[in-house]
Amino acid sequence: MSLLEVRGLSKRFGGLYALRELDLDVDEGEIVSVIGPNGAGKTTFFNVITGIYAPDGGRSTFDGHNLVGLKPNKITKLRMARTFQTVHLFPNMTVLENAMVGQHCRTRSGLLGAILQLPSTRAEEQRVREKARDALSFFGSRLVGYRFDQPASALSYANRRRLEIARALATEPKLLLLDEPTAGMNPRETEEMTHLIGRLRQERGLTVVVIEHDMRVVKGVSDRVIALDYGRKIAEGSYDDVAHDEQVIEAYLGRKAVTR
Amino acid sequence: MSGRTLAGTAVKAGLLGGLAVVYVAAVGMIGSFVALNLIGEQVTMSRVLMALPAFLAGYLVARPRVQGGVVQRAATGVAVLAGTGAGVLTGAVTAAGLALAKVPSPDTVRGIFERVTPALFHTISFGQSVPTAALLLMLAGGALGGVGALLQMLPETYRRPINVALMCTLLMALLQRLIPTILIQLALKFGSASPREWSNWLYSSRFSGLTVIGSVVVFAASVAVALLWANQGPKLRARAGSLAGNRRPFVTGGAAVAILALLFVLPILSGSVVSLVLGTVGIFLLMGLGLNIVVGYAGLLDLGYVAFFAVGAYMMGVLTATGDSGSSLHPQLPFLVAIPLVMLAAAFTGVLIGAPVLRLRGDYLAIVTLGFGEIARVLAVSDLLKKYLGGPLGLYHIPQHFLGVGFNDPEKFFYLVTAFVLLALYVSWRLARSRIGRAWTAMREDEQVAEAMGISTVKYKLLAFSMGAAIGCLSGALFAVQIGSLEPLGFNIIVSITALAVIILGGMGSIPGVIVGALVLIGIPNLLDEFQAYRLLIYGGVLVGIMILRPQGLVPNTRRARELLEEEIEQDQWGKGTGGPSIDATVAVGGAGE
Repeated sequence: MSLLEVRGLSKRFGGLYALRELDLDVDEGEIVSVIGPNGAGKTTFFNVITGIYAPDGGRSTFDGHNLVGLKPNKITKLRMARTFQTVHLFPNMTVLENAMVGQHCRTRSGLLGAILQLPSTRAEEQRVREKARDALSFFGSRLVGYRFDQPASALSYANRRRLEIARALATEPKLLLLDEPTAGMNPRETEEMTHLIGRLRQERGLTVVVIEHDMRVVKGVSDRVIALDYGRKIAEGSYDDVAHDEQVIEAYLGRKAVTR
Repeated sequence: MSGRTLAGTAVKAGLLGGLAVVYVAAVGMIGSFVALNLIGEQVTMSRVLMALPAFLAGYLVARPRVQGGVVQRAATGVAVLAGTGAGVLTGAVTAAGLALAKVPSPDTVRGIFERVTPALFHTISFGQSVPTAALLLMLAGGALGGVGALLQMLPETYRRPINVALMCTLLMALLQRLIPTILIQLALKFGSASPREWSNWLYSSRFSGLTVIGSVVVFAASVAVALLWANQGPKLRARAGSLAGNRRPFVTGGAAVAILALLFVLPILSGSVVSLVLGTVGIFLLMGLGLNIVVGYAGLLDLGYVAFFAVGAYMMGVLTATGDSGSSLHPQLPFLVAIPLVMLAAAFTGVLIGAPVLRLRGDYLAIVTLGFGEIARVLAVSDLLKKYLGGPLGLYHIPQHFLGVGFNDPEKFFYLVTAFVLLALYVSWRLARSRIGRAWTAMREDEQVAEAMGISTVKYKLLAFSMGAAIGCLSGALFAVQIGSLEPLGFNIIVSITALAVIILGGMGSIPGVIVGALVLIGIPNLLDEFQAYRLLIYGGVLVGIMILRPQGLVPNTRRARELLEEEIEQDQWGKGTGGPSIDATVAVGGAGE
């Protein structure tokens, strides 16, 4: 059984289908890219499987659990984590605190522990700190040291994107959903990110689904590429297959480009 | 900043300042405070009220402003000129008000503003004719505005200490009923033959304000302390932080013992009247701490906090009351049994109120909670619960004597309230630094992302409501003990607004801020009877002023301060259409951490 199984998933906004009868599988250990023109439903796909939107039809299961109807926090707890298309950090928390929030769903100390400073709470807090540091250290020296205590808002754009991934890593996921991780990055940073996505699997054993517009990145990281248009899957397969698929070219460039 | 915008700002500030003086005079504040000497015999509260608008106008005109995401500062000379102009204008508007009020027969004006008396005219015009008074007012206004602008232009290292010292001096002058009493009592304890001498150098016994010498000493001392703290504070903090693990408990323990000792002797030295005031401060401090969890930590604006105050008070009344309290229920529980039950009931009410508003944010939440506050009051007076809560008559004969102590004695009550305040402080402090506090902060900053990161917003909103309620209800419970009877009409929206004003003045999410807010907003008006009539006016003024001038509060929580600045820059850029927010200007934000 696949790690993520999506069957007949639909989502409508008014009369417009953002997702239409989408079938999709992601196996454990895969890196899958989702491509498609603007408005093809890529981000909606993420939003529906992470519980931010409820689907209008179909089902999705993750690691054997049904995802439909679950709240986003429960889904994160099932070990699926995500980043956002536009960076959404907690800008006034420090870098370390941002990553520590990621550990929230893996910890359980409550009111009494906090007020009485029980030994178990202290130990847990220490562990949270270590796990958060570990997640941040994934990006080498970029987010560590004096950066721990800087507010997230003080980071450069690329570092904010990295911190978002670190925060997702801190939730200890099996499946990581990256929504345009290289948007707004310069070519050098983009190349570094391509390399990083590969490392996510090698070093952390993660399965990754990435929405990406930059075809070099898609080519560089993907085992498999899925192309969406108008909420439908129009192509699926290796990068080369999908990149030369007529329907995909048409979706990006229009009909004329194909007939010419 | 272009000269034209600066001139425009100066005109606006000057006009507003002048209108403020005219308004404050018309409602009678200036007239009421003629006899309230602050420093020497000349500086009365009336004079301060007349001077402050011009000074503030100058100070604010010279303020650097954020434009297009860039912080802009005017040149010193230009800024002082603008400040002076604003001050002159303030004086001119005041004079115009004076002249206008004199044109019709005095009785016409008095028919509307009953406090516009000949004595008031005399105060404002310095006993001179209108033209001379106008000249004087404009000169004085110009000078004050200029000084205000100059102060604003000083580098941060000098400006901060002077600001702090100005506030400290004003505060000391306002505490003229408290500090001399303490000094005299201290002198008596030490067996001094002439106890009055201990306080006479600082506070005059003739006119009761600070003496000139005393004010100079206070000002100089506060400048010195502030400077020292600015220079040495970070180092001291670093040293305290790097203390060896085994010595650290001694330092914090020593500080704790010192504070406890101070709290212990305070009521003994200051007497019953002041103890009563401090007890009331404690009650509002508890309420502020509870509300701080809901509004400051979790970011849920609650305008109906009086509901929890009422739940605490009525639960306490009903649970401990004896047969003749006006309630048909009288289990006569002992105080220590009643307190946890009251807290539980309040936490439950918190969940009850929180559950239906889980999906609401910001303004909508505020409006709904406002409604809940009113429901609490209506229920208290209703016939429906008359049997239990006494209806419009309220409850009476609530026991004030337990654990072998009579808490109707203000000094004993102060200890009781202090014990609960310390407990609430500890709990607030711990929560803020825990996993729960982190979840609240994340939720406040971005609710949707917090949920996507695995935080159950439902759970943490309800937790915030119930924890806030459990702490806030203590204020009501102790209020019932302090007064011994409950009158339902007192549980109105004013209580909610007061609690909100307390945490806004000090700075939302900041524990020291709540303490400062309660001391200033509850302590001072209660210590000085002259203020009582203008209490609500002062609260309103403080709310508006703080929101515009220093939205992060007096003793801000650093994080909250950053959030607010960011919003401001974002709004400004949005207005200019220059795209996304740049937060690089955040460095400009000042303010001490928690």
